Amino acid sequence: MVSPVKIFDFRPPTTKIRILGIETSCDETSVAILESVRAHGHAPLCESKIRLVHHETATQIPIHARFGGVVPEVAARTHVAELVSLLERAGIFGKGKRKFDVIAVTKGPGLATALRVGVEAARTLAWSSGAPIVGVNHLEGHMASAWLMPQNRRRWEFPILFLLVSGGHTELVLMRDYCSYKILGRTRDDAAGEAFDKTAKLLGLGYPGGPALSKTAEKGRPDAFKLPRPMLHDKSFDFSFSGLKTAVRVLVANLVRGTKNEVTILPDLCASIQAAIVDVLVAKTVAAAIESKPKAVAIVGGVSANRVLQAVLTKAVKTELPGVTLFAPPSGFYTDNAAMIAAAGLWRISQNRLDSWQKLDAEPELDI
Amino acid sequence: MKKNAAGRKVVLKAGGRARRFSVPTAADWPSVSSEMIHLIRPGTILAVQGDLGAGKTTFIQSLAAALGIKRFVPSPTFALMRAYKLPKAVNGIRRLVHVDAYRLKDESELQVLDLDEELVDGQTLLVLEWPERIAGWLGSRLKNVIHLNIN
Repeated sequence: MVSPVKIFDFRPPTTKIRILGIETSCDETSVAILESVRAHGHAPLCESKIRLVHHETATQIPIHARFGGVVPEVAARTHVAELVSLLERAGIFGKGKRKFDVIAVTKGPGLATALRVGVEAARTLAWSSGAPIVGVNHLEGHMASAWLMPQNRRRWEFPILFLLVSGGHTELVLMRDYCSYKILGRTRDDAAGEAFDKTAKLLGLGYPGGPALSKTAEKGRPDAFKLPRPMLHDKSFDFSFSGLKTAVRVLVANLVRGTKNEVTILPDLCASIQAAIVDVLVAKTVAAAIESKPKAVAIVGGVSANRVLQAVLTKAVKTELPGVTLFAPPSGFYTDNAAMIAAAGLWRISQNRLDSWQKLDAEPELDI
Repeated sequence: MKKNAAGRKVVLKAGGRARRFSVPTAADWPSVSSEMIHLIRPGTILAVQGDLGAGKTTFIQSLAAALGIKRFVPSPTFALMRAYKLPKAVNGIRRLVHVDAYRLKDESELQVLDLDEELVDGQTLLVLEWPERIAGWLGSRLKNVIHLNIN
């Protein structure tokens, strides 16, 4: 057993450290083993050489490979079966097993029952292996996804302004140092990804139809329809996207009544909706950057994969924020994954912020 | 854009009685919320039904404000559930749990929410969006259910 005192005294055995990352906060179950090598114990963290020894997210594996043909009904959301199978595939059990020095697990925010699966698995592994444990904030994990990119790490200078945009989050966070954050703004209702998905549903593109909406928008004119840019001129850095749904509903109803052909105007509708969301995200990010004067702006989370958002933000940073660099995660690390949790775990270890397995608990309402 | 939603009709059904409200703009929700406050108790399940963009979350935000909650009450669609502590008990209610069943594909997925567990403390008000997706669970608890339909 590892006592809290021993955990406090923990130092990596060498400058090489392997972190087992576990993520189960909402829909995705993911496991990663991340290796970090520093030239010496006092070398800056951003000069670490990072290697992903193993990384797997359940939804990316065919179901038969996960469960051998039997698909448990509720398991997909309760994570239990998936996590056990992913840990086995990570090769941490049995003969010739892969070793790890620390366990990093998402402790919140998220769904209580889902978070608990990851946290309890991590606590059990910490108890049985003797490895120290570190609880990671899911939002901090998303921020660390940009740090996984080597060229971002080379230019990693604080403060950094993060735009975190996903199906469940829309936040502007200022990172002042590792483990030191300030929320500058957030959504008051719907997340940006949710705005994409739900307006797509209103247009008959299914749910979640965000990616389909963006694809259809490629052939449309972003200025074809006038849609609201909620809170654009509000002085706060908060967002509001729920009114956009109502506006799209009313617009679609009027178009149908006006017997306009919905199929031919669909690309225009999609492009106009996308422009409304992107405009607000970019304008608020630029405004927050002008006030907080970051060295870099980073865009992370599932919606950061949106090409139009990337293009408009890149242009805005170039023209309106001279000298500021723009970071994004490596492709494939936008949505929830355990590699980013392991990386954020490394940040916490560097600040000596380890937890004890006896005390670590899921925190569904955790803020940053 | 708020005025575009004019003509919104709201029906409140509690204990076999129905009341009708007209909510022309988002600024008119507080009148429904203050009416609602008298009807809710710990253990009440408030089932809020309405299409995408009808104003469900906006109403729940106004109810949360009426209950003294100062924090933002964002959409729980992705998170499925969010919980809030009341600064001071209202009719014995000390906690608001905001649930969204929109993303549940199957009623068996309710297990991950463990809603019965959320209600056992005897001080929780459960507000539920997309109740039609979990009609079975709701049906067996009808005596505690208040319906609010937004059209």
